[in-house]
Amino acid sequence: MDFEKKLGRLEQIVQKMEKGELELEESLKLFEEGVKLSRDCHSQLNEAEVKVKKLIGFDAEGKPQTENFEVED
Amino acid sequence: MTNGTTNSVNISPNEELDSKTESRVLSVEQLNRQIRQLIEGELPSIWVQGELSNFKAHSSGHFYFSLKDAKSQIRAVMFRGHNSRLKFKPQDGLEVIVRGRVTVYEPRGDYQITCEMMEPVGAGALQKAFEQLKMKLKAEGLFEATRKRPIPTLPRHVAIVTSPTGAAIRDILNVLNRRNKTVRVTLIPTNVQGESAAPLIVQAMKTAFQLSDIDVIILGRGGGSIEDMWCFNDEKLARTIAASPVPVISAVGHEIDFTIADFVADLRAPTPSAAAELVVKSSEDLMQKLRLLERLLFGAIRKQVSTDLHRLRALNGRLVDPQRKLQDLIQKADDLQLRLNHSVLRYFEKRRMALKLATQKMPRPLQLLERWRFRVQKAMSLLDGLSPLRVVERGYSLTTKGKTIIKDSTQVMIKDELTIYLMKGQITAQVISTNEKESPWTLKKN
Repeated sequence: MDFEKKLGRLEQIVQKMEKGELELEESLKLFEEGVKLSRDCHSQLNEAEVKVKKLIGFDAEGKPQTENFEVED
Repeated sequence: MTNGTTNSVNISPNEELDSKTESRVLSVEQLNRQIRQLIEGELPSIWVQGELSNFKAHSSGHFYFSLKDAKSQIRAVMFRGHNSRLKFKPQDGLEVIVRGRVTVYEPRGDYQITCEMMEPVGAGALQKAFEQLKMKLKAEGLFEATRKRPIPTLPRHVAIVTSPTGAAIRDILNVLNRRNKTVRVTLIPTNVQGESAAPLIVQAMKTAFQLSDIDVIILGRGGGSIEDMWCFNDEKLARTIAASPVPVISAVGHEIDFTIADFVADLRAPTPSAAAELVVKSSEDLMQKLRLLERLLFGAIRKQVSTDLHRLRALNGRLVDPQRKLQDLIQKADDLQLRLNHSVLRYFEKRRMALKLATQKMPRPLQLLERWRFRVQKAMSLLDGLSPLRVVERGYSLTTKGKTIIKDSTQVMIKDELTIYLMKGQITAQVISTNEKESPWTLKKN
């Protein structure tokens, strides 16, 4: 699931819970799911560094061939 | 002079140069001066028509630019004293007629037109081509807002179509790295310089389309002249951008530079750096949104747990411990009793107080006796006045029949036996006759 979908699901969970019509059991289950989603989103947002590759072509099977790219100063 | 060769070899190089200088070898300075005299003498004042290019309004107030046509170009300058009189804003692509002199700048050997006057001649050829293409594509609906796809909120993989050595890639990576974001970048290298680069950019875009997992393409280059950026005004490129399977952000030149690619792209970033910021900014917004959702999530569960706990406690207290309830009742009973006792005591206390107050208000016995005696004497004197004895003393008598005192003649019948009480003694008499009307009291009253 990509980031936007995760965030959308999290939003949905919060809305459901805020209505206050759920059994505790159900709420706890949703809460658990929400915490996991938010943790995933965080790690996705906080991954360390921009990885830059330069495309140099495609191989026989059409797979892209890349090499690391550094900006020349 | 058999040694002539030797001699000539022996001639110092300086000597030889000196001799040549005198005859036909010029110094650079001399050459430039001659060229200058020649040109400036030959072309004292000319009119030239051409398209403005590389136009720069320098901070000194002077204008520097080129005039060009399809095959040739020439540098030109218009000094502040002259250009302040212009009634239009010169800009690249504009076709103009200038009047001026051709001058030579000796230190550099450059020649240029020093303009004294400038007038626009309709739109320049390049500008015309640009406008025509723009109108055509617009008519086809390629610029419609409804065609624009939203830029993904957090692209995982960005393809950048630009030159590997240009300013654009450096600026984009600077921004992305500074913000330390989770983006995978694949550079698709291409030439982006001048009109001839257009087919190469089209090819690079098509290559980018082949990458399966990219979320967005940034197509860009750094600033330059309108000619430098002309490759982005290409019809094929415009159609390629329109056909992109993923959203395209155009980032060509500076904020003021608009190209056809900008109009057809899903989003136009004013500069390559701005394009990078657009990609990263959205991730900052997302972080904020994520934090908000987290707060709401924790708030919601905390609220529910505390509400449920509260309810549970209440139920627990009632269900599990009836003895406690009994104790409560006992305590309540005790409490009521206490309050009851208290109120009874208070009642009696109140009554006691009232009695005490009444006692204090009661007169003393001796006084009372005195008052009573006075009242008795008064009553007795009154009684005395009313006593029949007193009346009888004055000659009145009292007539009774049995025990009834007779006040009216109708009370008696003929032959009734009456007793008449006098001052002294009593008479027993028999009624002979009665008369209702004859009475001294009645007469007096009348």
